[in-house]
Amino acid sequence: MFKLIYKEFRLAAHPTLIIFMFLGLMIIIPFYPYTVVLLFGCLGPFMSFLYARETNDVFYTALLPLKKDDVVKAKWLMTIIAQVGQLLISVPVAAYKIMEKFESNPVGIDANLAFYGLGLISFAIFNFVFFTNYYRTAYKVGQAFIFAMIPCMLINFGIEALSYIPATRWLDGTSQELLIKQVPVLITGIVVYAVLMAITYKISVNRFRQVDL
Amino acid sequence: MELLEVEGLCKKYSQFTLKDVSFSIGAGEIMGLIGKNGAGKSTTLKSILNMVRPDQGKILMNGREFQRFEAECKQEIGVVFGGIDFYKYKKLSDITAVTRLFYRNWDDIAYQRYMQMFELDPKKRVNQLSSGMKVKYLITIALSHNAKLLILDEPTSGLDPVARDDLLELFLQLVKNGSRSILFSTHITSDLDKCASSITYIKNGEILKTAEKEDFIKYFQYLKRPDETGDLNLEEIMIRTERKTYHV
Repeated sequence: MFKLIYKEFRLAAHPTLIIFMFLGLMIIIPFYPYTVVLLFGCLGPFMSFLYARETNDVFYTALLPLKKDDVVKAKWLMTIIAQVGQLLISVPVAAYKIMEKFESNPVGIDANLAFYGLGLISFAIFNFVFFTNYYRTAYKVGQAFIFAMIPCMLINFGIEALSYIPATRWLDGTSQELLIKQVPVLITGIVVYAVLMAITYKISVNRFRQVDL
Repeated sequence: MELLEVEGLCKKYSQFTLKDVSFSIGAGEIMGLIGKNGAGKSTTLKSILNMVRPDQGKILMNGREFQRFEAECKQEIGVVFGGIDFYKYKKLSDITAVTRLFYRNWDDIAYQRYMQMFELDPKKRVNQLSSGMKVKYLITIALSHNAKLLILDEPTSGLDPVARDDLLELFLQLVKNGSRSILFSTHITSDLDKCASSITYIKNGEILKTAEKEDFIKYFQYLKRPDETGDLNLEEIMIRTERKTYHV
């Protein structure tokens, strides 16, 4: 697994993958729709898939002493590292803002536990649509991205809208009481991400096995 | 036991079908896979490597089924696809640093020796290499992990006559000790006159003939016109087999 990750980051990944990971730090911006940060977590892998197609990464990987399934596994691991890494990079900033009692974000949702839980769900759905569409052909990366962005953007708009709907306003805010209430949302997000990524991998591998390179 | 056995390979596309392709390669052999453009040479090679999923057929490498032992079999294979560049903006040293991790028999000393022998500069990027140098770099990689079988898809296409001769000479050297074999697809038949020990001819997705080079040439002498005295060479054999008449 280490070898696949090393190959991805040294040869296949576009530099924007790393840059966009660090855009998790945008959580520091006081008045901002934080779901934009999530968008960069989807754009980074997309750019790397695009770059990999132009550099014939799939041919190189398919010729290494690996199973054909490992071509998918390499990209799957890269995406998980980029997205989870981006969120983890943002956590200290979010924690600092909560501890220092920064003013609540008037634009949309605060960077709280619900944001991270829902963010993981947004990532998982993007990845599911993107990977399973892309590995039908292993070259139509633009089409897969457009298909994946539609549900992802709808979810992100929904996340930002939560603070404007009275019934869901508890998902916004960073008081201790609200944070405790948001813990199940975070746990759900983690579970959904893990389960959906496992399903994404299985379907993508099955589709890629049928692809003629 | 043969190094590579291809048995009954079939693959159906909407416009083209690979039909019952079978041949085998022994150790120390250079087999030329010939056929005109679109005959199915690349599809055959990609099917062997599981890059194309065949509808039917079996690939055995040292008696082991390739599909089941894919990663193991690939440890012993080196591949050169003429015309496909990997990571053209990366330095050779970067590509090597990653590639070496995947091979359990990687030999750094051999790698350095071949890089020097072929005058390859590890600081150069792939797009700074000539076509011949790219082929030599991929052969260096293959030799550094002690590949027993080299699969080369049109490695001499686009090379000048000097570079081509240089590569063919290299191929002969590589199989000399009898431990390595080369499967080499080409439509430049003069390459095979020089270095192939056996030839497999593929036409419209079907094997027309697979045999030792001398037997292969003998077999096709029926194409000779009555007034011709010398043997037909591979190029004439291919041209006369493929010739079409257009009624326009």
